[in-house]
Amino acid sequence: MSFELFEEETRIIEENRGLLQSDMLPESAIVPFAALLGHYERLLKDAKRLMRVSDRNEQTLQKTTQSLDEKNSTLERLSQQLSKYLSPQVYASIFSGKRAMTLTTERKKLTVFFSDIKDFTATTDDLEPEDITFLINDYLTHMSRIALEYGATIDKYIGDAMLIFFGDPETRGVREDALACVRMAIAMQRQMMNLRAKWTEMGYARPFQMRVGINTGFCNVGNFGSEERMDYTIIGGEVNLAARLEGVADPDGITLSHETYALVKEHIDAQQGDSITVKGIHRKITPYKLTGIYKDADEKNRFLRAESEGMRLFLDLDKLDEGSRALAIREMEAALARLRHESRIQDGEPLPVGGHVS
Amino acid sequence: MENIRIERTDRTPEVNFDFTDNRFALRGESYPEDVPAFFGPPFSALEHHLKGLQTGQVTFSFEMIYFNSTSAKVVMKLLGLLEETAGRGVAVTVNWCFKADDDNMRELGEEFGEDMETATFHMCPTDK
Repeated sequence: MSFELFEEETRIIEENRGLLQSDMLPESAIVPFAALLGHYERLLKDAKRLMRVSDRNEQTLQKTTQSLDEKNSTLERLSQQLSKYLSPQVYASIFSGKRAMTLTTERKKLTVFFSDIKDFTATTDDLEPEDITFLINDYLTHMSRIALEYGATIDKYIGDAMLIFFGDPETRGVREDALACVRMAIAMQRQMMNLRAKWTEMGYARPFQMRVGINTGFCNVGNFGSEERMDYTIIGGEVNLAARLEGVADPDGITLSHETYALVKEHIDAQQGDSITVKGIHRKITPYKLTGIYKDADEKNRFLRAESEGMRLFLDLDKLDEGSRALAIREMEAALARLRHESRIQDGEPLPVGGHVS
Repeated sequence: MENIRIERTDRTPEVNFDFTDNRFALRGESYPEDVPAFFGPPFSALEHHLKGLQTGQVTFSFEMIYFNSTSAKVVMKLLGLLEETAGRGVAVTVNWCFKADDDNMRELGEEFGEDMETATFHMCPTDK
């Protein structure tokens, strides 16, 4: 059974050609009728041609779309592989077009985390390269996972060391960034305990111990390098300070600068260390060794803390039994009396008769 | 007449011609390599069947997602055939189904519907 798309139009043309060749048309109608038929024939020819052109164009468009889809999925695959070389936030800001690929930097207040493995060279001296590779990759994989979970920007791995920061390209505010960094460091040290247990179980005699330094301050962040090869990173004295604090941290410890400590002190316990000097930074640096963190409001209510120049108050209400609470009250009252006494002397008031200060 | 059922492919639509119940449907995408070769047999069978009808009810549903220009000519021929059938006194209903957010199919349906004077033409937007 044949199927002609323009069957009807073809039939009309054939019938009217026959009519034109017959002597049924009046003489005066022959010329205009012939012209009309000619135009109809041309229109049909044009319609067929346009349909063919349109189909071909659609086919080309389909092929182009298909090829574009293939290229897109190739690019997507490549960019996914490339993303492993970048922090997710940096990757997202590049691929969303928010970050220009030029050598530009900004000055921003960041919280910088620096860590390394204590005595890495000595620890790994006796190990085969495959074992070192396994350990370092296992360590970095777990630490990076935690870093990303806390919204950190992983700047780089330098052998066994990690440079991580909070505050760019995304920030939740300087205080929240600092707190997130400290919480991340604690989560990492907790994870290190699990990893050490695993590594010991696997037969590694001297499992890694991580040291962490954290500092908050103004850094230059952005693209450094050349137009051909650039790195998104941070530089500045505050970065060096984080590294230096890491250097004075205890194994399995976290040391904060005073700047970071001041931002997070409502949420943590820390022990003030001896001041240090850091090359490139003129001020004396006071390190704070982190000893604990309050998990929630209940725990926060457990502690009473106040700190200012010449004064430090710390009460752990849960640890005070009846006897020690009475002692604490006596100590505090004595301190209060002494403070009032000092104030009166300074104000030139006469001392009360029989007044006694312990 | 034996019913015709052709499964859809990437380039050709599903053809479902039920001559017993007079319910006919085209569904999917249409840009066959050879349009006359694909549509020829079902179209001729339908034409033969409809030309034999003087009364009764016929329903034809178009549920197209995409068709090329040559397939558009087939759709126009089908609509012409249905309109001609309705002109003989057969109750013909045409359902033009399209995704509610497909403006192209909506506009095409509106244009085709304008030419249907005797057959009943329904625009049927769907969420699918």
